[in-house]
Amino acid sequence: MFLEKGRISNFQLSVLIIGFVFGSSVISSPGGEGAGHDAWIACTLGLVEGLLIAWIFTALTKQFKDKTIMEINSLVYGKILGKCISLLFIWYLFHLSALVLTNYGQFFKLEIYPATPKTLELLLLMLVCASTVGRGIEVLARLCLILVPLTILVVFADTFLLIPHMDLNNLMPVLDVPIGKLLLASHGAASFPFAETVAFLMVLAFVNKPGKVPAAVSRGLLIAGFILIMVVARNAAALGQMAVVTNYPTYLVAQVIDVGDILTRLEVAVAINLITMGFIKISVLYYGTVLGLAQVFNLRSYRPIILPVGILMVILALTNVGNTLEMLNFAKKGYPIYAIPFQIGIPLITLVVAKLRRLPQKGELDA
Amino acid sequence: MKREKRIKIYVAMVLIIMPIFLSGCWDSHELNKLSIVSGLGWDIDPDTGEVTLTYQSIIPSEIKSSSSSYGGGEPKGGSPLRTIKLDQDTGSSPYDVLSRYAQHASRIPFYQHTQVYVFGKEGVQRGIYPFLDTQARNPVSRPNALMVVSAEKKASDILEIQDGLENIQAFGMAAVIKLSATFSKYPAVTVLQFQNRLLSKTTAPIAPMVGIFEETGPEGEKSRKIRVIGTAVFKGDRMIGQLNERESSGLLWAINKIKIGFVMIPEASLEIVTAKSKIVPELQGDQVKITIEIDEESNLVEYKGHQDMNSDIVQELEKGQAKEIESQVRAAVDKSFALDADVFGLGDAVHRKYKKEWKDLKPKWDDIYPRIEVVVKVKTHLNEIGDVNKALIKD
Repeated sequence: MFLEKGRISNFQLSVLIIGFVFGSSVISSPGGEGAGHDAWIACTLGLVEGLLIAWIFTALTKQFKDKTIMEINSLVYGKILGKCISLLFIWYLFHLSALVLTNYGQFFKLEIYPATPKTLELLLLMLVCASTVGRGIEVLARLCLILVPLTILVVFADTFLLIPHMDLNNLMPVLDVPIGKLLLASHGAASFPFAETVAFLMVLAFVNKPGKVPAAVSRGLLIAGFILIMVVARNAAALGQMAVVTNYPTYLVAQVIDVGDILTRLEVAVAINLITMGFIKISVLYYGTVLGLAQVFNLRSYRPIILPVGILMVILALTNVGNTLEMLNFAKKGYPIYAIPFQIGIPLITLVVAKLRRLPQKGELDA
Repeated sequence: MKREKRIKIYVAMVLIIMPIFLSGCWDSHELNKLSIVSGLGWDIDPDTGEVTLTYQSIIPSEIKSSSSSYGGGEPKGGSPLRTIKLDQDTGSSPYDVLSRYAQHASRIPFYQHTQVYVFGKEGVQRGIYPFLDTQARNPVSRPNALMVVSAEKKASDILEIQDGLENIQAFGMAAVIKLSATFSKYPAVTVLQFQNRLLSKTTAPIAPMVGIFEETGPEGEKSRKIRVIGTAVFKGDRMIGQLNERESSGLLWAINKIKIGFVMIPEASLEIVTAKSKIVPELQGDQVKITIEIDEESNLVEYKGHQDMNSDIVQELEKGQAKEIESQVRAAVDKSFALDADVFGLGDAVHRKYKKEWKDLKPKWDDIYPRIEVVVKVKTHLNEIGDVNKALIKD
């Protein structure tokens, strides 16, 4: 099957992963729920857990070169069971991209465009993503090379300008939360955003040097992780207790920036970061969904199903949660558990079963 | 031929589709439909809890012409500039007020440029929670706006006093408060800082108080001006007392907010160059001992004695200065204990250093706080003595 002819380099993969991890976490503090001002510790532990999970799924692609998780499932579990598991995984990708869309929609509805209908906001973003997905993974990877450095530049500029507003006393005392709560918060930070990179099981097959994939993935995760840890620590230092109270700390912290009454109101730059990074995250997940569906149902091309899937995604994004409170509750309590089977379960079990069945056997890889 | 036709169809489609997106600006804010609120006054009725909002809106057309009319020198009725307009409404809650505002206003209030929130003295004693909640909840309000407590009864009293130098009154008031903070007289407190003090369970929020004073010009004409006169101390959302000038300075010394300014002692005036302070808690059982360590460097700018400078005098000046700073801090400490309000954040300092013990201390903190022993340690250093080393008139 040649559904995707494009190939991306390992460097492009790393940048893609950075953009993906930033995703919707550029406006919120991962680990902030529960860990309070120790969110940066939770974030660090979450990064470690994310790296372990990344190790599992990169081991899987190392074993099955040039295969997406859909093809691996069919090989490992047989046709029918394999396809069922593949469909479950596709559901996760689809649901996750709808969640990112929801997050995006809620943020823009509240902060930037209160009067504009949410449907239209989501539809416009979906159309842009659809057009990118239709052009393949290579185009998306090249886009990242422009968008991700710009975002990192904004993040560092914001951090630099916030130095006068930071009070390191706000980070004291270190490790104030009980250890159980901290571990829970760090698992939350791992499941969103670090371990979500499991979606790259649909992309890793198209990397031109499969041997170096684990290094590229962990490099991307580490860079994104360190920047996020810096952002989380900065938010807590500059906002104090308000970083925990507010829904979008990174947005609020950008409002604080004030250089000589001239350089102010930089928060829109943060909103632009959300648009671009959310676009990358949604595109990767969207791409995984349509490519997976095409592979499961043996379609010759995934292009015809792009728009239908996109419309379903927007509908799910509009209806899955009633308001921001439900979204926050789901992100805090439901999601870290809900994501375990997809982020750890499927890759780990598949890897174990493949080892037990001594797969892939010779010749199977060429099929 | 066929290709050209296809391109034409595509172009036509794009042209038809594009206006759908371009005209769809639901969230446009046209400048001529907004009334830009520069300052917002909050009065809360102490008995009924009714909210009265005073909107200080900018009149854009006046700002354009004001510079020329000011230069022409034709002050009308004592107020040379009328660039602002005050509107007032009363209702049961802030949004009730807003709905009333819409009954008589021609433009939508726009809060993105609000510089100061002024609270009437009567209202703050009842509590300003309606404000704190609306402010935090509403995405258009900004965390950098300043909190001001009016020393007059009503917030509107000080929102209408126009300063001569600044075009827009609220911007001028913000500048006055910021300057007083730069000169280390009174704190400038942003909404974010106020919220953070509120969220800390022990620390008491503070805000500068602005009052009116009457100025007599060189030709005997009277004009009213605003002036920072003290620091309001809150417990939760209620104001419970105030610090005077000396106590406010002492507070700033202790919480490391001294920027520039002067220390006056009987024999000289000294300009602060750098100042740093640290609050060091020490726990002995249930007894908390706090040491406020202040490190200050200054330059001599005025010397009233008639002696040549020597190291003995320098030492004396350093000592006198340390004594003066200590007495300012001591005054603030005494006042904070009298008010039973932790304006220095002593509780947070203990929490930072003794996180394990804090769990037991926290429930008892109200009992522990009044028994805290505070020690003030001041180290001063005189850097420069100015351009002369001998007195111009000698004894």
